[in-house]
Amino acid sequence: MTLRLFQPWLRGGRHRFFPGGRVGLRALAILALGTAVCVALHLVTMRVLAYFHGQNELGVILSLKIFQMVWITIFAMLIFSAMVTSVSTLYLSSDNEIILAGPVAADEIYLMRYVTTTIDTSWMVLVFSLPVFAAYGRVFGAGWPFWPLLLFAVPATAAIASAMAMLATVVLIYFFPARRTKDIVLYLSLLFGILLYLILRLMRPEDLVDPERYGEFIEYFSAISTPVGPWLPAGWSSGLLATYLLDGRIDWLLAGLLLTTPFVFFFAGELAMRRWFLPGFSRSQDSFGGHMRFSPTRGPNAAWAWIWRKELKYFLRDSSEWSQLFMVGALIVVYLYNFKVLPLDRSPIPTEYLARMIAFANIALVGFIAASLAARFVYPSLSGERGAFYLIASAPLSLGRFLFWKFLFYLIPFTLLTVLLVAVSNHLLHIDGPMWLVSLFLSLLLTWTTVAMALGFGVRFADFRSENRISAMGPGAVLYLFCAILYQLLLLGPMAWPVYRLARRWLRTSILSLPDALILSGWAAGAIAISFLLAFLLCRHSLHTLQK
Amino acid sequence: MNVVLQIEHLSKKFGSFTAVSDISLAVSAGEIFGFLGPNGAGKTTTIKMLAGLLLPSAGTVSICGHDLARSPLAGKRLTGYIPDRPYLYEKLTGDEYLRFIASLYREGDPEPVIAEAGRFLELFDLSDWRHHLIEGYSHGMRQKLIMTSIFMLGQPLIVVDEPMVGLDPKSARIVKELFKSLAARGTAVFLSTHSMEIAEELCDRIAIIQHGRLTSTGSIDELRAQAASGRKNLEDIFLELTGAYELQGIIRALRQDAGRPAGEVDR
Repeated sequence: MTLRLFQPWLRGGRHRFFPGGRVGLRALAILALGTAVCVALHLVTMRVLAYFHGQNELGVILSLKIFQMVWITIFAMLIFSAMVTSVSTLYLSSDNEIILAGPVAADEIYLMRYVTTTIDTSWMVLVFSLPVFAAYGRVFGAGWPFWPLLLFAVPATAAIASAMAMLATVVLIYFFPARRTKDIVLYLSLLFGILLYLILRLMRPEDLVDPERYGEFIEYFSAISTPVGPWLPAGWSSGLLATYLLDGRIDWLLAGLLLTTPFVFFFAGELAMRRWFLPGFSRSQDSFGGHMRFSPTRGPNAAWAWIWRKELKYFLRDSSEWSQLFMVGALIVVYLYNFKVLPLDRSPIPTEYLARMIAFANIALVGFIAASLAARFVYPSLSGERGAFYLIASAPLSLGRFLFWKFLFYLIPFTLLTVLLVAVSNHLLHIDGPMWLVSLFLSLLLTWTTVAMALGFGVRFADFRSENRISAMGPGAVLYLFCAILYQLLLLGPMAWPVYRLARRWLRTSILSLPDALILSGWAAGAIAISFLLAFLLCRHSLHTLQK
Repeated sequence: MNVVLQIEHLSKKFGSFTAVSDISLAVSAGEIFGFLGPNGAGKTTTIKMLAGLLLPSAGTVSICGHDLARSPLAGKRLTGYIPDRPYLYEKLTGDEYLRFIASLYREGDPEPVIAEAGRFLELFDLSDWRHHLIEGYSHGMRQKLIMTSIFMLGQPLIVVDEPMVGLDPKSARIVKELFKSLAARGTAVFLSTHSMEIAEELCDRIAIIQHGRLTSTGSIDELRAQAASGRKNLEDIFLELTGAYELQGIIRALRQDAGRPAGEVDR
């Protein structure tokens, strides 16, 4: 009986969506929202495609190029999420103690984990990609065989992606020793995602819509009509469907490859599971750091020093926390790269003015990055204390002081990041004079206030029962992000005029006049006062609520 | 006696750390075997190897003659494992969970096993909760459901880690009686516990593990003789055999400290 292992998954799903055997409001709401999103996606894609088709033959080819790129992106996303999920489902699931202690063969476990992982990781991609691809069928006026081909190609691609991901996971966990395996697979998956993001960004797909970048039209035409990823299963799927859309012909070779490849990878994964799963699972239970000796701590013993030390050690010893720095690093590289490739020379506005406008807009962008990172790292920092918060609450240490030290701890990395982003982007934009200082001052003011707001909101919506920091980010985090962005816009909006005045004068005369300096100082003093009051009152109110 | 569980030279290393070192013992049908040791001595690591959740670095585990490394499924088919942390599928009902476990261990009609489960649910006062979702169960109720799911199978070997954690006195009493009655009918029980009272009351033989090695094995009387101190209860014997006799010195020092005024610190 090979389907017995599916019972908890099936019945659990039924109880979750149909509590008490009835169609629950929640299930209906999810269904209605999902249908609405699908219809919207379908209509928007139809409109965009119809626009492309309204142009010329180039528009048709361009739309198919985008079709191929969407396939590749979906495939990469599926592999990425299936790898991360399969580490959890195969090695870290709590039900392993029940299933592996029972007389269940490895093949049966693999089948169950494969099917559930595939469905769990790909259902959303499938549901939302089908309306997009269906729009292609309608706009291209494809015949009926397109629909069964589509319904075959999408699940086949998902099946290949998760079979490849699970095979890779089983092999990797076996060959990398001990508990660090789960971290290693996580990093590999993260690196894979970052690489993909960088490739997509650095290959600049936007150039495809800019024929002027190519010397000859034919060069451009051949660039966009070359199939993307002929060696990737996603390339086969897009090739199969694109061939049918263009020529009304089915490429049986590609169809055959799509039909057989999932089985090839599935059976390879099953073999790997038989051979390497149990040793890998056994090793994955070795606790990382459990037998490792750490050197004794030296340095100041004041309460503030230990609060800082605790925050830092918690962060560094929890790989799920610091591994996200990879993503932050990639974000920064892509962010700064964009400044390098800005086509300022092709703008009708003089370059110096445009560069200063961008530098001013950059303040808002830096503020937004700081707010996003603060939502992830600073907002949940109090909830992250979890049950141990009673130690702080019962200690002879005021909560206000505790929060202030936390604030100072987070202030250092956020300040360094802000200075880095502003300095490098200003350098790339060739900004000099007072504009440099103004952008640095405003960025730091936004960052510091944003960090304080994150702490204040985190205290106000503290959830000490959350499993980890990420799960502590509930609706309060969204509210914080909205408020932080609103604050930044309200602060920067009125500053635009004095900054513009200052920049214009500086570019014309290279002299900072006294009236300009006074006006700017007045604005700056007001901005500091408002920011300080906002942060202070918010934190005080939140502390008051927490103490109550 | 018919040997159900045979452990020979079992070892487990985590990197350079040896958690379990060269353990050999045998448990016969109808015997309740207690596995005692201080925290971090290697009890749970050993139990996980017996349940097939952890591969040994060396040595063998045989269950009714089936080598767990060579034929794991045959060994697991004869074993019931009760972990100390009662993880269960939160979104299943108790009844669905029992049927799921029955499907893992028994092929064919599950009804005889489920009918047996009904008897244990009745004993544990869980019958009224049988069709409720597990997410609504308390810690003790989960523990009782897990025990039901293993007792209903009638396995020749039961491996149990800390059986009484989270149980109310009535349920704890019932569990002790159940272990005795299962043993009387020929089931071998391998039981790890911290509770000396349980070990003393239930176990026919006891092994004491310390720093991953077995330091003593035998009945209470045999252990008493090994301790050679004329002590009566198992707690004293345990402290003696695990080298914790210096505890007396610590207790004396603490009692002397208790005479001093609060806040006075030695310099």
